[in-house]
Amino acid sequence: MSDKAADRRILGQITKGSLISGLQAKLSDNVDIEDVRIGTFAVVDGDRNRFFSLLKDVSLASTNEDILLTPPTDDFDRRVHLGVSTYYELSLQPMLVAEKDAPGATPLPSTTVPPHFSTVFEATPEDVEQVFGKVDEFHPSVGSPIFMNPTIPVCLDLRKLAMRSNALFGRSGCGKSVLARIILGYLMQTDAFVNLVFDMHNEFGWTATSEEGGSVDSLRKLLGQRVAIFTLDPKSPLYGHGQAYDFEVQVPLNEIRCSDMELLGAELALSQAQRETMYKLEERWGEKTWLARFLKLEPQEIEGAAEELGATNVETLKVLSRKLGRFKKLPFLKEAVSDDTVRRIRDYIGAGKHVVIQFGRYNDLLTYILVANILTRRLHEDYARDTDAARAEGREGPTPLIITIEEAHKFLDPSVAGSTVFGAIAREARKYRLVLFLIDQRPSGIDDEILSQVGTRIVGKLDDERDIDAALSGRPNQGTLKVLVNNMVERQFLLTGYALPMPVVIDAKEYGSFCKEMQATGGRVRGELERRKLELTGDDELEL
Amino acid sequence: MIDRIGEVIEASTTRFRAQREELDNPPAFGSFVKVPSGPDITSYAIVYNVYETSIDASRRPMAMGLTEEELKAQQPQIFEMIRLEFEAAIVGFKDQGGAVKAYLPPWPPRIHAFVGACGPEEVISLTEDLDFIRAINALPGLPTDELIAAAVRVAYQNRDCDAEFLVKAGQEIAIMLKEEYERARSILRRVGHVG
Ligand SMILES: Nc1ncnc2c1ncn2[C@@H]1O[C@H](COP(=O)(O)OP(=O)(O)OP(=O)(O)O)[C@@H](O)[C@H]1O
Ligand SMILES: [Mg+2]
Repeated sequence: MSDKAADRRILGQITKGSLISGLQAKLSDNVDIEDVRIGTFAVVDGDRNRFFSLLKDVSLASTNEDILLTPPTDDFDRRVHLGVSTYYELSLQPMLVAEKDAPGATPLPSTTVPPHFSTVFEATPEDVEQVFGKVDEFHPSVGSPIFMNPTIPVCLDLRKLAMRSNALFGRSGCGKSVLARIILGYLMQTDAFVNLVFDMHNEFGWTATSEEGGSVDSLRKLLGQRVAIFTLDPKSPLYGHGQAYDFEVQVPLNEIRCSDMELLGAELALSQAQRETMYKLEERWGEKTWLARFLKLEPQEIEGAAEELGATNVETLKVLSRKLGRFKKLPFLKEAVSDDTVRRIRDYIGAGKHVVIQFGRYNDLLTYILVANILTRRLHEDYARDTDAARAEGREGPTPLIITIEEAHKFLDPSVAGSTVFGAIAREARKYRLVLFLIDQRPSGIDDEILSQVGTRIVGKLDDERDIDAALSGRPNQGTLKVLVNNMVERQFLLTGYALPMPVVIDAKEYGSFCKEMQATGGRVRGELERRKLELTGDDELEL
Repeated sequence: MIDRIGEVIEASTTRFRAQREELDNPPAFGSFVKVPSGPDITSYAIVYNVYETSIDASRRPMAMGLTEEELKAQQPQIFEMIRLEFEAAIVGFKDQGGAVKAYLPPWPPRIHAFVGACGPEEVISLTEDLDFIRAINALPGLPTDELIAAAVRVAYQNRDCDAEFLVKAGQEIAIMLKEEYERARSILRRVGHVG
């Protein structure tokens, strides 16, 4: 263990600070200011304790106001005054602390500060390990601390991750989907949780497209049959060449409620009058039949229907008919379905398999929101019922389920979060063994209360100030974290929250190396899976 | 044995005055000189004043309107009447054990002691400790700013123009004068003007 102070690169010495606002250090003369980077993981050695900290700011300081009024003009002058009249100051936020002579001790939240003139060092791989632990099945590495060697692992505690709803935020193209694949892949590999992924852009199935336009292996290819592919678009070019789907999703019209339409408010641009009319239809024609019946109305029948409903504007009904008419073009919406999708999902997850629902060419928001909402609502009902029953009988409930949704703000904006199933799941925490994994570009669109329930946040580059604020809302040291997020680039993520001992900015793991890892463990894992499947089902009903 | 450039004619703890036998090659302002001060002690000093005066204090030299060459040809006796003197401030010494210190020696040089020029090694060892700058700055009643700049330049040249040394010396000046930024700047400008 290279713990001797001599092996460590010195960054500076503590000069002042406080626990709340952070520490100030004078940069060492032999460190080039241009090599100092915000987000660096640093340690401060006090007399007895080591403080694990994040570098949050670098500033220029001077001992004399006069030099600022008449700054040095030539190179000699500048070199003379550097480090004498002017110097650089580092701002650090201490996060965790551990006793120095107890190597391997678990660092705890910092409750004090190091003494004056304590030395600030760049963190070593040993420091990273002391804080983030060693890699194992339940603690996979998802990346490395920025500015450190990419082989140094930052491990995510999967058990803690799966205990709460989580979120992955970042602007388009920052690497959310890739990192989500990596995290989901590791979650799936443990066999301790099951996953349901609403795969809007067809990236979590057999393959995904890379930035360069090529195709890379995705979850089904990497994890084999433990991942089942459900699709709304069986004719999509995604399938074929030995890459089959497992189940065709059909949604019966009788499961679409008026309340589902609320979520589609923006997509359908429904007016208040149109929504009221819709509720009237549901009330008069029945919860299960109203939509099928309404969609079948011929234009000449609309006036008659308006009369039947009473006090209904014919024009409103006509517009509504045109708007909901979009559903007629969706082939997976059927009056009668050949198989019940939710039951099938239950079968698969009951057997410890993961389900990826792909949207094929129907990857518009309207379809995505509608389908994700309907299926999740029923699953939630099932899970709630089963969990309650199991609890009453003193059994263990269903396998914990993690539901991944993209465009999360569409499901959880403040106007709908109170009434949708997603809002309910997020608020119930783990009561029914169901949690969400939210992926979104616009965290500011998500209801605050929901955000406050999110256990672990993974925040990529965001441009909008409001999004950054929302993504970090309620986190301790929000100011520091905000600076870090402001300084990130693509494929860098701030990890903060329940599944991590302290916040850290990482370079996400290279997807290629993740794939290699999965392929290397794939054999062992598949053998294990076969064994478990037999144990779980006792027959080959699920053989695909 | 000292390569003689002068002889002490007046001495105190902090400075001395020496007389040079010839008028040519006077010691430069800011140059380092050495002189014995007591048993086995060599004092080091910095030249801060050089002047030519008449031997006979009662006879003032008069303007002649001739160039130096013309004077030498026509009035050579004039030069017999002039002598060259210089004053130096003591800034350090080499003790009996040979260690160089950048502070005042216990005794002043003796009158009639011979003064010699310091060689590069002596200049380097005396200026290794940048405290010599503070020693100069502490000298009362002298053009210390000019003297600091000149001494630093001499020390730099004796180090084969080591830029690192110049920056370090500059920083010493900046630290010493941190309350007097403008003064530090003006010294540094003079220090920085080296070839
Ligand atoms: N960890 C990574 N390893 C290798 N390539 C990556 C990684 N992260 C991102 N990329 C590259 O960047 C591209 C964009 O990343 P990704 O699709 O994950 O962005 P996104 O944040 O999901 O964007 P959007 O919001 O538009 O869906 C990927 O196609 C991939 O080529
Ligand atoms: Mg994406």
